Amino acid sequence: MDLISKALKRGAECLSEYESKQLLAKYEITITKETVVTTEEEAVTAALKMGYPVVFKASGEEFAHKTELDLIELNIKDETDARAAFQRLVSRPEISVREILVQQMIKGDRELVVGLTRDPQFGPCVMFGLGGIFTEILEDVTFRMAPLSRWDAMDMMNDIRASKMLGAFRGKPSVDREALANILIAVGRIGMEADEVKEIDINPLKILNGKPIVVDALVVLEQGSVMK
Amino acid sequence: MKRDKMGKFFYPSSIVVFGVTDTPGNLAKNIILNCQAGGFEGDIYPVGRRPGSVSGYEIITDPESLPMDIDLAVILIPAEVIPETMKICGRKGIRHVVISSGGFRELNGKNNQVESDVQSVARQYGIRFIGPNCIGVICTNSGLCTPFNPLQAQSFKSGDISLICQSGGIATQAAHTFSEEHVGFSKIISAGNKLDINEIDLLQYLMNDDDTKQVHMYLESIEDGRALVKLAKKSKKPIVLLKSNVGETASSIAKSHTAALSNNDRIVDGALRQAGIIRVDDLYDMTVCAKALSLPPLKGNRLVAISPSGGFAVMLGDLCEKYGFECPELPRQLLDTIESQRRGGVIRMTNPMDFGDVYDMEVMINTFESCLRLDDIDGIVISYMYNEEMLKAFSGNIGSPERLLEVIKNICERTGKPIALSFHTERSYIEEFKKIGTFPVFNDPAESVRALQMLRNYWRVKDSDNHF
Repeated sequence: MDLISKALKRGAECLSEYESKQLLAKYEITITKETVVTTEEEAVTAALKMGYPVVFKASGEEFAHKTELDLIELNIKDETDARAAFQRLVSRPEISVREILVQQMIKGDRELVVGLTRDPQFGPCVMFGLGGIFTEILEDVTFRMAPLSRWDAMDMMNDIRASKMLGAFRGKPSVDREALANILIAVGRIGMEADEVKEIDINPLKILNGKPIVVDALVVLEQGSVMK
Repeated sequence: MKRDKMGKFFYPSSIVVFGVTDTPGNLAKNIILNCQAGGFEGDIYPVGRRPGSVSGYEIITDPESLPMDIDLAVILIPAEVIPETMKICGRKGIRHVVISSGGFRELNGKNNQVESDVQSVARQYGIRFIGPNCIGVICTNSGLCTPFNPLQAQSFKSGDISLICQSGGIATQAAHTFSEEHVGFSKIISAGNKLDINEIDLLQYLMNDDDTKQVHMYLESIEDGRALVKLAKKSKKPIVLLKSNVGETASSIAKSHTAALSNNDRIVDGALRQAGIIRVDDLYDMTVCAKALSLPPLKGNRLVAISPSGGFAVMLGDLCEKYGFECPELPRQLLDTIESQRRGGVIRMTNPMDFGDVYDMEVMINTFESCLRLDDIDGIVISYMYNEEMLKAFSGNIGSPERLLEVIKNICERTGKPIALSFHTERSYIEEFKKIGTFPVFNDPAESVRALQMLRNYWRVKDSDNHF
């Protein structure tokens, strides 16, 4: 059984970050290296295997907005850091954290956002724009109806006000537009193929050496909607 | 396509108007007067409850006495008695109806008994109808003019643009605005509540209508966005959309107006761009866009900006930059040739080009044409000076206004590239040029460059294999 039907069966309103990214990976979208662990020892082993620095996040579909809940430990540099971070996450009195997502730390040099929404008149639509914590403030986003042609995807990149940001920038190479187009097209395909997927948020989609990589993602399912 | 079934809405050979009386305040009477003013030559049958006569036509009080198979009925009677009248239409072989009356969902909500009665009678007899809550159809080709407000239909300018309008008020204003700007139209349809025929049906018809070269639309709601995009992508004719009801304030007004649903405006924007539909902001902009789209394709960003005034040349250059165009350097050899043809030779040619004291038709034709023949030039924008007295002083000769437009039009046709033309002169001269109507004349330099932006955006999508 695939991860969407499993989640629907257990009554989940959305997929966990890990599951969300697994769905994206099936559509050949590059995601961070990551693994879910339950004990401190597993966490340390996974971090070592992945290579420091790493990120620990509380894992589970109930934590759709982890930044707001302070459930992310960034830039863990060694084993001492890792053990302390693990303890901080699992010993919160008001929040029960049972699983930890151990994730490759991606610094990146630009943050983008990609999303999917369903419009009553236009059906599944893909969003692209400026990502990070200012997405809602700057509202520099553009939409296209799925499915997207390659031309549509390329056109979206020119359509945002900050489109210059995709070019070479402060010594960093320009963004691989073909790779970015592939992601936009793939998200549109999910919208066309998976009716159970109501919304997708990929934020941030970071740029590392010109290549886009999904650092955080949320897939909202049709049976419920997460409060935004 | 005139013989197409939908064609009877525009080219009926006979019409019946329900709701006519000879009293001064009667609105249905205006439908007949408007058709007469528009030059409609088909048979007209006024139907009303009391005998009398309107503009030479006897009012028919017994609709059963109507001849069979009248092409089109226009109904302007209270909503609750419309289903009964529709049945009479059905029995009389009428298959096309415009329901002008209001009093449906826009008044008392979506679950409306009269609406469903109208729909079921229409289904029973195979009647297609436009409306309700609309003013129907203006067709300058046939003279049909079904609005019930008094119009100066004889002053409407005939042409090849057709408009679909959700609102009757906008439809009427569009007829005036287009005519005043000397942009001729073929059909204007007020679709009202779109209970049967909607914008998709109308668009489909107009895309195949021989008298229509561009389809313009005014919509407050887009019910099936995917269908609209799918159809528009197939269209060989340009489609222009004025979409209102975008803000939250407009949304609550729209509910009581045409029971419109609001769309997410950003999504509308993106989807229209994918479909190659040009979006404009107001009715006047529609006329600018209509003129722009009548020019040959603009397949790139590279323009030559030309004016006999240095100031206007510089301004055109700024405008080109503002609207995302470039003015590439021109080959020295070409510039030398142009310079050698001038009298004073006091101005060095560049792009933007200060045309200076050249007022010779030959030189002008050669310059425009050789610029457009360059592979790295996609179009020209010209701000021309026109003043008979001044031209005499320069002892130049650019010919009559008619001749000038003819010449520029021919250059466009020969090269397959557009020239956006405006004049800096007295207002009356600009009007005179616009009125000629053989080639689009824009009101000022800013408008001409904005027009080219519309034209480029259209071709950018239509020609999307060819990135620019």
